[in-house]
Amino acid sequence: MKKDLSALSQEKTIILAILLQLFVAMFSSFLLVGLTSLYDPSLVGDYSGMQYRIAYAGEDIPLRFLLDSQENIRVYPMDLSAAIASLKERKVAAVVYVPPSNPDGPDPVTITLYTVQNDIQSAVINVKLKEALIEYEEELREIRSGRLTMTPVSLEFPEEEDGAPGFYEFVYGLLLPLLLFMPAVVSAALIIDLITEEYEHRTYETLLSAPVSMGEVVWGKILACFVLVPLQAGAWILLLMLNGIPVARLPLVMGYVLVSSLVLILIGALTGLHYRERTGAQVIFSLSVVVLMLVVLAIPGNPLNQVAVLASGGTVPGQGMILLLGAAAAILLSLAVTRSAGAAAG
Amino acid sequence: MGDDLTIWARILTFARWETKKSLLVPGKKILPHALLLLILLGGATLISAESGLHFQDAMYSAGTDDPVLAGIVAEDNRFRVVVLDRTVLTRYQASFDLVIINGQVVPAETDRGAAATEALIQVYDRYRNAVYSQEEDIFAAYPLLVETATVKSELDFSAPGSGSQVTSPVRFRGPPLPSGPVPSIAPPDPAPAISPDEFRAGMIQSSGTDEILNRYSGYLGRSGASASPYQTPSQLSPPLPFDAIILIFVFIFPLYFISQFLMMSVMNERTDRQGEPLLSAPVKPWVVIAGKSLPYTGAMLAVSLLICLVAGATPLIVLPLIPVILFFLASGLIIGMTARSFRELSFISLFFSTVITCYLFFPSIFADVHVMSLVSPVTLMIYTLEQQPYTLSQFLFSTSLFSITSIVLLYAAVVNFREERLFSTKGLVSTGVDFISSMLHPGHPWLSLFLLGMLAVPFVFMAQMLLLVLVFNLPLPLSLILILVAAAVVEEIAKSVGIYTFSTRFPGFLTWKNVLAGAVVTALAFLFAEKLLLLVTISQIAESVFGTVLYSSLTLLWVPFLIHLAGILITGTALRLGGRAGYLPGLCLATLVHCAANIWILRGWFW
Repeated sequence: MKKDLSALSQEKTIILAILLQLFVAMFSSFLLVGLTSLYDPSLVGDYSGMQYRIAYAGEDIPLRFLLDSQENIRVYPMDLSAAIASLKERKVAAVVYVPPSNPDGPDPVTITLYTVQNDIQSAVINVKLKEALIEYEEELREIRSGRLTMTPVSLEFPEEEDGAPGFYEFVYGLLLPLLLFMPAVVSAALIIDLITEEYEHRTYETLLSAPVSMGEVVWGKILACFVLVPLQAGAWILLLMLNGIPVARLPLVMGYVLVSSLVLILIGALTGLHYRERTGAQVIFSLSVVVLMLVVLAIPGNPLNQVAVLASGGTVPGQGMILLLGAAAAILLSLAVTRSAGAAAG
Repeated sequence: MGDDLTIWARILTFARWETKKSLLVPGKKILPHALLLLILLGGATLISAESGLHFQDAMYSAGTDDPVLAGIVAEDNRFRVVVLDRTVLTRYQASFDLVIINGQVVPAETDRGAAATEALIQVYDRYRNAVYSQEEDIFAAYPLLVETATVKSELDFSAPGSGSQVTSPVRFRGPPLPSGPVPSIAPPDPAPAISPDEFRAGMIQSSGTDEILNRYSGYLGRSGASASPYQTPSQLSPPLPFDAIILIFVFIFPLYFISQFLMMSVMNERTDRQGEPLLSAPVKPWVVIAGKSLPYTGAMLAVSLLICLVAGATPLIVLPLIPVILFFLASGLIIGMTARSFRELSFISLFFSTVITCYLFFPSIFADVHVMSLVSPVTLMIYTLEQQPYTLSQFLFSTSLFSITSIVLLYAAVVNFREERLFSTKGLVSTGVDFISSMLHPGHPWLSLFLLGMLAVPFVFMAQMLLLVLVFNLPLPLSLILILVAAAVVEEIAKSVGIYTFSTRFPGFLTWKNVLAGAVVTALAFLFAEKLLLLVTISQIAESVFGTVLYSSLTLLWVPFLIHLAGILITGTALRLGGRAGYLPGLCLATLVHCAANIWILRGWFW
């Protein structure tokens, strides 16, 4: 078996495969930088120290004062036509137009917000103006409070500097589990290629005459694919850390990744041994993976969810149980693979 | 036999063979299992639709002294909530991501704490909306409405990343009065054009669609303009950038999947040598290829249209997808013809799909934000969904690179569809060179080099576009340096392909005279093709500083010509002197020279 493994590692294509994979990983890390900045446009440039110039047209209501008191915003009262012309020349970032209104009237106070189309800054300015608008909404609601019948439970939030909304959840709750489990799927697809190739290229006849058993050959291939997983997952974790995203509870997280990838690789091996033909095996395997993923994700506290919580530094109840369950599944599948390989030889 | 009718008949015959041999016969073997899995898939979809996708369950821990608040927070399964006595809470505050004592939220001073607060704000907003939208006097609960309008600005693309800012530059103090003419603008109609009931319905609906899954499933079927032009201040938010990913999942992945079958079918013919009778058949290779690809083209189109039908989207959305389909077919064909083993096939197609998905997806994130997004046809699909018209030149801008590169790839496939190529077992690079050498004619070396140079240009543009997309969001000096070097590398490789192929496949060709002549011809071809392509497409971004880096070559004729010539001369000389071993050093040197020249052209931007 050892021999088989070393023979495999000497084979050029495997090395090429690993190189290619590393390249994909590098490439994706490059994308990750882009992704993290894309997710929150205000992270791109350092917008915090910037002054946004806003033109204000129409009635003079308390909103103007609220806007002016926002840091980063400077309000210039202007005529609407001139303000829009300035906006077109990008001399102001936005125009707020306020028609005559009654703070305690039956109708809502409606204002119009003009921004530049197709501009990344319009997205940023929207967020900036939002704070002042919400404050004004609260003021108006206070004025009209006599007309309200229900009061929601009140909750006071601490003063926050602008965070990146959703970014944390996106990275830990979605990106990280997907990235860490991707190598498992890739390796499982690889084992199908390796096994079906022997049949389709009719090389297994030669293999059978060699002084190794079919089981040993298959297990050698499985091992080669399995070794790729910690390499790749480790590369991802390293890349994430380089991007300033720490991964907590590393041994436990790795344990999850290794066990689940072993299960997937064994399923792949079984599929390959059964169909002996790549297209069919890959179709069946991908369908099975999709079904498995959907079902697993529908269960609260699934491995991906647990990895997300663990990696972000939290704790999950029953973490050992899931690992044990996975290991048990892997053992059962291993027995099935050995039997199936034996049957293939005979 | 030569007339059109028989050719069509032959193509159809090949298509029928292909369908039977590669799809129906192997399909029968896996059919029972595939059917079973499809039924299971239906069940799994139902289960996950019922219970949702649990990615972020119990990510945050919260403690509160108020059972009512605990109930509100626990509505969101991202939170694990514990109700505790006030004194206990204060003592164990450190073990929670946030605690709520006396209606006051106190987050832990960690990233998790901050994220938990953000999440709690969402939860609280949703709760308040649920309360307020039941108010009798709805406009007392929502007293302020914002109507958003956009204005087209003339400066469109000249603002890369953090380029031109609307923030106040130091030199510019007084009120921001317009310098141009001021057309008179009528103030918008002050009366609210919306009835209280209509508004309430909208609010209830919007508080329900907060779930990510709902938003995505509603994305395709949505009807252009939203019901109300007004938003409450809390609804005012930049469009979430990841909505477009649903288009990738729904439309692009099936294309990738189907192209896999094409690759496998081509590959199988090579490994089993089943393809030999095909090759010996008395028909032109393009007829065989057309016939082979026809079922897959049909399948791709049918699947795309079916998705439109199911999602209730307009079939027009498929229009920008057609060049992409063509591209998937062409590259699938080439990959199937070149890969030597399944591993290679898997990895090349995996790599290829990663790259192409990025190319399609990343620009489209900015669909409503930046012109840059038009690089990807997916942006046009988003426009179609939003019922926003696009112009013919925009269509050409985002699709022509796909169309042209597909045609070149298809041409390469046709020229190489013969025995010695299909059944060779050489390495990838060497096969690639073989493929290119079939496109070169030793009898007409100059014409071949010229044509090859021209054909390489769309690929160079595509690669550079991808680079542009990748670095676009990095901070400015870094992105500029990266694009400078990367663009030069890509261009020098593309330029040297012809000479390299000649020097390795036709030994003795590379005399000093031929090095010079080949360099001149290649440089001319590049110049010519760049000009031609730019006329159609790139004019939109040619004006930005990135455009200057990539396509500086356009302002003057002799400068770009000299740069092209210098690069290819250096590589050619290196090949002449050192043979194959001289290629890499030559390429590096050429890249350096190219970069230096570009920096010299760019000096106007720097100092």
